[in-house]
Formats: sequence, structure tokens, C-alpha cells
Amino acid sequence: MKKEQSKKYRALQYLRIASQTVFFALFVYLLFGTRFTGEDYIGRVEVFFHFDPLLALATTLASRTFFTVFALAGITVLVTVIAGRYVCGWACPFGAIHQFFSFVFKRVKFLKPRKEEKKEKRLAWKYYLLVFVLVGSLFTVDLVGIADPLSLLYRSFVSGVLPWLAGVFSVFIGLFYSVRLASIGDSLAQFFSTLALNQTFQQGFLLSLIFLGLVLLNLTRERFWCRYLCPLGALLGLLARWNVAKVRVDPKKCIKCNLCTIHCETQANPYPNKEWRSHECVYCYTCAAICPTAAVSFPVAASPEKIEVVNLSRRKLILTSALAVVAAPFFKITPARKRAAAKLIRPPGALPEPQFLQRCVKCGECMKACPTNGLQPALGEAGPEGIWTPVLVPRIGYCEYYCSLCTQVCPTGAIKELSIEEKAKVVIGRAWINKSRCIPYVLGSPCIVCEEHCPTSPKAIKLLRTEVKLPDGSIQTPLAPVIDLDLCIGCGICENKCPVVDDPAIYVTSVGETRSEKNRLLLEILKPQALPEEPR
Amino acid sequence: MRRRDFLKDIAVGGALLRFGPSLLAQASSFPGLVMVQGESPSAITKEAVAALGGMKSFVARGDRIMIKPNIGWDRTPELAACTNPEVVKTLVELCFDAGAKEVTVMDNTTNQAQRCYARSGIAEAAKSAGAKAPFVNTFRLKKMALQGEWLKEWEVFTDFIEADKLINVPIAKHHSLSRLTMGMKNWLGAIGGSRNQLHQRLDEAMVDLAAFFKPELTVLDAYRILIQNGPQGGRLSDVKLQKAVIAGADPAAVDALGATFFNIKPQELPYLKIARRRGLGEIDLEKIRLEKRTV
Repeated sequence: MKKEQSKKYRALQYLRIASQTVFFALFVYLLFGTRFTGEDYIGRVEVFFHFDPLLALATTLASRTFFTVFALAGITVLVTVIAGRYVCGWACPFGAIHQFFSFVFKRVKFLKPRKEEKKEKRLAWKYYLLVFVLVGSLFTVDLVGIADPLSLLYRSFVSGVLPWLAGVFSVFIGLFYSVRLASIGDSLAQFFSTLALNQTFQQGFLLSLIFLGLVLLNLTRERFWCRYLCPLGALLGLLARWNVAKVRVDPKKCIKCNLCTIHCETQANPYPNKEWRSHECVYCYTCAAICPTAAVSFPVAASPEKIEVVNLSRRKLILTSALAVVAAPFFKITPARKRAAAKLIRPPGALPEPQFLQRCVKCGECMKACPTNGLQPALGEAGPEGIWTPVLVPRIGYCEYYCSLCTQVCPTGAIKELSIEEKAKVVIGRAWINKSRCIPYVLGSPCIVCEEHCPTSPKAIKLLRTEVKLPDGSIQTPLAPVIDLDLCIGCGICENKCPVVDDPAIYVTSVGETRSEKNRLLLEILKPQALPEEPR
Repeated sequence: MRRRDFLKDIAVGGALLRFGPSLLAQASSFPGLVMVQGESPSAITKEAVAALGGMKSFVARGDRIMIKPNIGWDRTPELAACTNPEVVKTLVELCFDAGAKEVTVMDNTTNQAQRCYARSGIAEAAKSAGAKAPFVNTFRLKKMALQGEWLKEWEVFTDFIEADKLINVPIAKHHSLSRLTMGMKNWLGAIGGSRNQLHQRLDEAMVDLAAFFKPELTVLDAYRILIQNGPQGGRLSDVKLQKAVIAGADPAAVDALGATFFNIKPQELPYLKIARRRGLGEIDLEKIRLEKRTV
């Protein structure tokens, strides 16, 4: 028998790698483009999220509203129903990362592919995860962002990979200066400045570890995440049953070597042919290319045949759904729901908290766009369901007065898109002075830094001659800050720039935020401020 | 490092430093201080430099020039928080006309640098005239002996030290601590570190920095001045159209005359009194050879 691998599928494999590279490059390009580029409005850098049917479905379920841009997810659905999970194998940037590392780990022999058991129970995990997330969404606990691959990938890049890369880059720039190649160092440093990378994230280390862990799981199985965990893959898997591209193993050529099944990236099991799992296949064409006798092919089979499916135990499905139902209240055992949290300062344009939590998918787009690095992933401020949602931490970065980038990039409308003019009117909190730490009040000497930086006109921070008694009993009358709460918008630049660095003498809390009817300070009934409307 | 050596030499000759600027001004046939008023920011800047004897009296062929505007805030030129971009651009052009090899425009901003450079219009204006407009680079920060009365040492961006000549081009604005921010306050943008701690003795800090940096020429942009809510304003009603620039080699004299736009006598500004005492220049407007022009 003639032993020859298929050139056609070898070529298709290269085409697939090219496609993955292009999509990954596009992802990175949009990621780097999510910054202040010199223009106030930066365009639809978050568009790839809208092709994600899982985000579309879960957000729609959780918020009971359909965000029209998510219609784009219909394209992904259509492609999958007709052709199969090409999106996973050819387009998904997270899939590309897993495939790349699987390849590397195989090459260095850290990972040795093996023939799996026929009844592989772990393949079902992702379906249970999907059910859990969707049922949870139905009961208004929006956990989809934690596990959605695009959210997870973007969040990991913003808070972990990019800051790490920035650190590496800084070391290199430093090296150029230390070997007296300052001009190269200068050029690199300037280039680096224009990228405006945010390098400080309060959970950066944890989020990096999670990402690293998912990548390292590829040491145990190829594309571990895609095989066993990805809820988006599971959703697409449910849709990939009647697709036209089916694997076919030519029994005349097949030498039963099992190579195709051993090397199948996602355990779709091409051999024996009738046990192939259509909904697990991501069309990487490894099986067809690796087959020593070119027996494996993917002919277009217009009529759906009977197909092997992953065994989902009905009992477990019911159990998972029930778990999601009873888990929903579990996530709400938190004071975050009962009263506003002082440090829960949301980005301008954020919807009222309950609606915000139903929509926010924790992707980190807003944190990438924030020019001051002030938007940070929350840990406990918003309760357990609000983990990794954006919160402004003025000590790290403040809200730039003429900036509405975070509102422009939110893929789910959790932050309503605002023009610069609209944004400048939104109150996200109010500043308070801690007179027991403020320099003029304590030392009797001038400071005025907060007043100087206050961006509103007239300034919300005023300076008044104030009588201060010093420790030696003497009396000084320095200019000391007071706050006009009517004018303060809570941007936090005062807290950020306060020279009392460890625990600023002026600080912002969320009270008085425009979006909330309850977290009020001044009863603004006489001069109503428009609450952000929910986008549709 | 040439500039640094030069500064050392100057520090040695303390007496010369004290009387230098006024002696020089009297020796030349040109006025010590020029104020030009007119409709065009570019035209008044050109005229002011011409009245001082032209840019060639400050810039030598082959010089690497650092121009230090105020790009501190994310505000458009109309709001008068940053130096007028036309004024900066004109100075860049004049430097190149005088034979400068390289012109750099730079400031350590308060708001995000990219935003300030863009919205102020200064980066684009400077680049269109052929200057470089890099962001400050923390790798170029170096702790230096300022030998001031209060500030003994501070982190300085070495770009300002390594340039052959410095041109200071501040804007005239209200400030709630030093009352006004003009030329001397502008040097806070050439340093790094915790600048917000300088405010505890701001007047002294400003003079220490001005004495350290010693610009060749100061051009005070008063085309639009900020009369209240300084130093960043925010409303057009904070701005007054003054349509003037003041130029001179004596940094104290420039600020002294600038104060009059705000109906403040130079002697009322503590930092100018310190500057006078330390011999940075003249603040008594009676004693300054002033020329006023209109174009």
C-alpha cells in the first residue's frame, strides 16, 4: 500500500495556522488600540466580543434586554451550524494560544498525546459549566464573564500579560542605558510611552497565575481548556451537530494506526469513524494531515448522519441547573446588595449597580482604556458576583476630566457610552477631607495641591483661611481646603495627587453618584440629574 | 554635559551671577525686556525676539535647544491652561532659522502626558516646525545637586541639562499658592519626584529651580491669560484675552512685568522678592529697560 500523507490537508493546516495568526494579531491590535490614541473617540475596538454568542446569550438572559450589537454573534452561530466549530479552530485567539502551547509542549516532549478512553467523562465538564452559567444568568447572577474565553483572555492580557511584558520591556530599555546606548533606549522609551500600557493592577498577580495555570494545563492534555472547560466551545458544540463538514476515514486506506485519534487536539475521535464526535471537532485538520496513508478527509456530507455525542447525564444536567438556581442567592449573601459601598466607585456612565452587575462581563476593556490606570478589577467591593468588575481606585489613578474612553469600549453596555461633554457632568462620587491628616490643618503650612488639580470650573475644592492650633500652642492661619459638594464630581485626582501618600488626607467615596437613586448625599430633587439610561 | 560645566562656572562666579544680567543688558544696545502686543501669537513672538536682537543672540549655530512650554494640563489652547501652541511653534522656527541643530519641546505633565501633548496642540505645532516633542522618560531622571536655599537636591530630567541652551516659554496664569504661575513656576515641569511636596514652600522651590535651570531666554505667553481658577481653568470666563508676549533674558524681569497683567505689583509676589534677593534678576520695573511694541 502506498504510504503518503495528504498534501491537501497539510496545506489546509498551514492555512489554519495562518488564520489563527491573523485573528490573534487582530486581537492584539485591537487590544493595543484600546488606549488614548490622540483622538477622543477610538472606535469599535471591542467589536470581537460581539461575535461571542455565549456573552450575547448570558447577558441577554441576565439583563432581560438584548443589546443590538450582539446580533453579530449570529454570524458565529450561523457558521457553526452550517460548517461546524471552525470558529474554535481557526479564529478563537484563546484557542490559538492553547494550540500553540500544546504544540510547543509536544515538541519538547513535555506532553505525550495518548489514546484516550472511549467514554471520556471530562469532555462533559464544559457542558455542565455552560448550563451552570446560563441558568445562573437566568437567575440574574452574571458569572459568564469569569469563564467566557474572550473575557478571560482579555482580562488576563490587560491585568497580567501586558504589565508583565511592560516590565520585561523596561528591563531591556534599562539595559540600553546601562551599556551607554542611550539613544536606542530613548527611542524605545518613547515608543513605550505611546503604547500607554497600564502596569499596576491590584489583582494582577492572581489573574496572571490563573492565566498561567490554564496555559500549563496543556501539559496534561492538548488544548485542555478547549476540550474540557470552555463554555463557549460547549455552546458551539451544541450547535455543531447538523453541520456539513464531516470526517471520513477511508476503510480501504486506513491501516488502523490510531494516529489520528491519538493526535486529535480536542478528542473528537476520528477513528473509528462512526465514533467521531462532530461537536468536539474544531477542524484543525491534524488528523487528516498526520494520517500516513491519507485515509482521513473532510468531505461535505450534506445529509446529517447519526453522530456520536458526549454523554451528558440527565441527572447531572438537572443537578447542575438546580445548583445554579440555588447558587444565585448564595452570591447575594453580601452587604454589597444592601447598601452602597464607600469604595465602590464605578466608572462614569456605569448603570445602577443591579443592572451593572447583570451586564458587566469582567472583560477588562475599560481597565485597558483607562488612561490613568485608575480602573481596577474589584475583589470584594461589589460582592462575590462583582469580582473583577471595574472600580476606580483613585490612589492608583484618577478619572480624567476630558476622557470617556471606558464608556466607549464596554462591549455589553454595562457602562453607557457617553460623549466627553456628557461624561464631564456625571458624578461618580464625592471627595472628603480628613482634617486630621491634611497638611494645612495639621502642620499649619500651605499645600493646596488638591485645589490646584481639581478639574471643575469653578473648583469644587476651595481654599479658606483657617485657624489652626499647632502642637506648641501657637495659632496659624494657613489656606486650607474645603469641598463644595455641589461641584465635586468624584474624579479622585485630589486623592491621587495628595502629598500625604500613604493614606491621603482627601479621598473619594461613592456617595452622591449620579447612577444611584439611593446612594444620595444631597437630595437633588430640585435639580434632577439624568440617570444613565440602559442602552438597547 | 557642556551645560552642566557651564553652570558650575557660573556658580563659582557668584558675584558675576548677581549682577550679570543687568550689566549685560545695559551694555547692549537692545532693551532688557520686550513686550509686544498684537492679533497674531506668531507675529508678536517674532517681533519680541527680533526686538531683543534676534534669535541669533541666544542660539548659536549647531546648538541643541530645549524649549520648555507649559503642557501641564489636558486642556485646549482656548482655556489658557497650557502655553499657546503658535508661540511655541514660532520659537522652534526661529531657533532653526538661527542655525540650531536640534530643537526639543518637552514638559513633565500633570494629567496623562499623551492627552496633554495632544489637546494642548503643542506636540503637533512643535513637530510641524521640525522639533521633537518626546514625553518625559523616567530613565532620564537623575538626582542632581540643585544647591538651592531650600532644595539641595532633586530628580531632574537630564534632557534639560544636556541641551546647549534652554528657552522657557511659560503661560501667565493665576495660581492659588504662588498667586501667579509664569516663568519660574514652569520649571516644576522639568523635574520628577514628588513634585506635590514642593508646595509646602513653593516660593522658595520655584526660585531654587529657576536659579538651577537658568534659561537663555524666557518668552512669557500672555496671548490668553488665566485670571481665575488657575492653574488649569476650565471655562472661557476664566480666560482673558491679553494678546501679548513678554520676552527677555532676565527671568525675574519677565515674571515681574507679567504680574502687571493681573494688577499685581512684582514686589507683592514673595517668590519674586526672593529671586531679587538672590540675584536672579531685576523686579523693579522702573529699573528695567523696557520696550513695548505693537504689531
